[in-house]
Amino acid sequence: MELKYPVSDKFCGLICLVMCLGGPVKAHPHVFVDARTGFIFDADGQLETISISWTYDEFTTLILFESLNLDQDGDGQFNDTDRAAIIEGETNWDSAYKGDVYLEFAGQDYPLGRPEAAAVTLNNNQVEVSFDLPLSQPIRIETAPVFLRLYDPFFYYAYTIVPPTDPTDLPEDCQAQIVPFEPNAADSALQDKLAALGREDMPAVGNVGRLFSDEVQLTCG
Amino acid sequence: MWLRFGVIVLCIWAVGLAAWGIVQWFEIQRWAIGEQRTFQNVMAGALRGIQAGDPQAVWTLCSATAAYGFFHALGPGHGKVLIGGAALASGATLKRLSILTVLSSLAQAATAILLVGSLSFLLQIGSADLADLTETWLAPASYVAVAAIGAILIFRGVRSWHKINQSKQVTHGCCGHAHGPSVDDVATLTTTRDAVALIASIAIRPCTGALFVLVIAARFDAFAVGCLAVITMGLGTAAFNLTVATSGVVAWRLAGLGARNHHGVQAISAMLHLTGGVMIIAISIVMLLPYLR
Repeated sequence: MELKYPVSDKFCGLICLVMCLGGPVKAHPHVFVDARTGFIFDADGQLETISISWTYDEFTTLILFESLNLDQDGDGQFNDTDRAAIIEGETNWDSAYKGDVYLEFAGQDYPLGRPEAAAVTLNNNQVEVSFDLPLSQPIRIETAPVFLRLYDPFFYYAYTIVPPTDPTDLPEDCQAQIVPFEPNAADSALQDKLAALGREDMPAVGNVGRLFSDEVQLTCG
Repeated sequence: MWLRFGVIVLCIWAVGLAAWGIVQWFEIQRWAIGEQRTFQNVMAGALRGIQAGDPQAVWTLCSATAAYGFFHALGPGHGKVLIGGAALASGATLKRLSILTVLSSLAQAATAILLVGSLSFLLQIGSADLADLTETWLAPASYVAVAAIGAILIFRGVRSWHKINQSKQVTHGCCGHAHGPSVDDVATLTTTRDAVALIASIAIRPCTGALFVLVIAARFDAFAVGCLAVITMGLGTAAFNLTVATSGVVAWRLAGLGARNHHGVQAISAMLHLTGGVMIIAISIVMLLPYLR
């Protein structure tokens, strides 16, 4: 009889929600990434490509050295073999993975292509991987803003979006703004989800992760 | 009877939920994650220092891993769930729980050392595969083991509850000789077997961070230094988990205040076994969910 309350669907839902919605609360990040983003427009003024760069923390950089057996000559520099190994490991991902990059257009996840033009550098003991993700179809951004979010639904990777070192030129009437993750906003979104708890379905983890991510807001016009 | 214990259980959950609502978890987590990032970078610098032959680097590394262990433990993990739940259920002394907490953290460090020592050295398995092995097999195995301990706690709670009711019925026909279960019948963590099960279920899954430290240290021909650093990391984790164990012990004591007599203590102990067991199972199932999809 006593157990009836704790194991009811509603209760499991609550536990699950609390854990899933926890986002940052849920798990232990092991990899810290400073991410830089850019928007590339085509000649017609349509958004064509997203450029991404990931700068890994120093510890993860050491792990990369070990796991990919980099810098075998020990000179502290990458050679072509090292760079090729990193690019293969970092950007040749399987199709189920989306690179932790999510573009929202008109309220929907907008499909992105596979990484192109990947490059690798090593600065201040940190590996930086950069690449471009083409949009499946270029889009014209008019009234509604486009949101670019970088997050790992399992929070093993913790992304922080930082300003680009050399910003790409945007069309004159467009601007990109970094909106850092704001705990209070996530809190109120959490409240909304809790209020909707009557339904039996479990929250989709992937959709919840975005509540806790930094985002770049691109507006035109 | 039922009503009273229902109230106790509800109070425990209410306090938990209130803590969830009032405390600035997001801020604390953000701060902890920021600190973790800092110490992770210090660890990297110290490891590079060891490679370069800097004698100071060993101490820098050990202090950084200890701090890393502490801040890393601030996120909810399987060890804390089990230790907190067991502390709530068992009524074991703080001293006993503290020893168990430290031993389980050290055992977790030992697992990492064994894994890297055997797989990495003998079989030449790289760090990425080790991390995969940990996340794919050892993590769910540990959650299952933790859930099983939760089930045992529930079983013990139900069994002693059953005995209490039986003894009451017997009392009516037998001149007031109550032969209920003694508190020892339900007490948990009093035997070596219980202690080993608890430590093992936590230790099955090493911390990925510890694996990485060892693998990098091995690459720099400093595996022994890596082992030392992982042990101090375990002690850092234990330092935080001790606060969880203490909370569990305090909660048990508070719940025990409601008991007026021997019967009450037994019943509350049974109820806390149920509560702790359900809590452990619920959270381990949530942790297992991603693996079931």
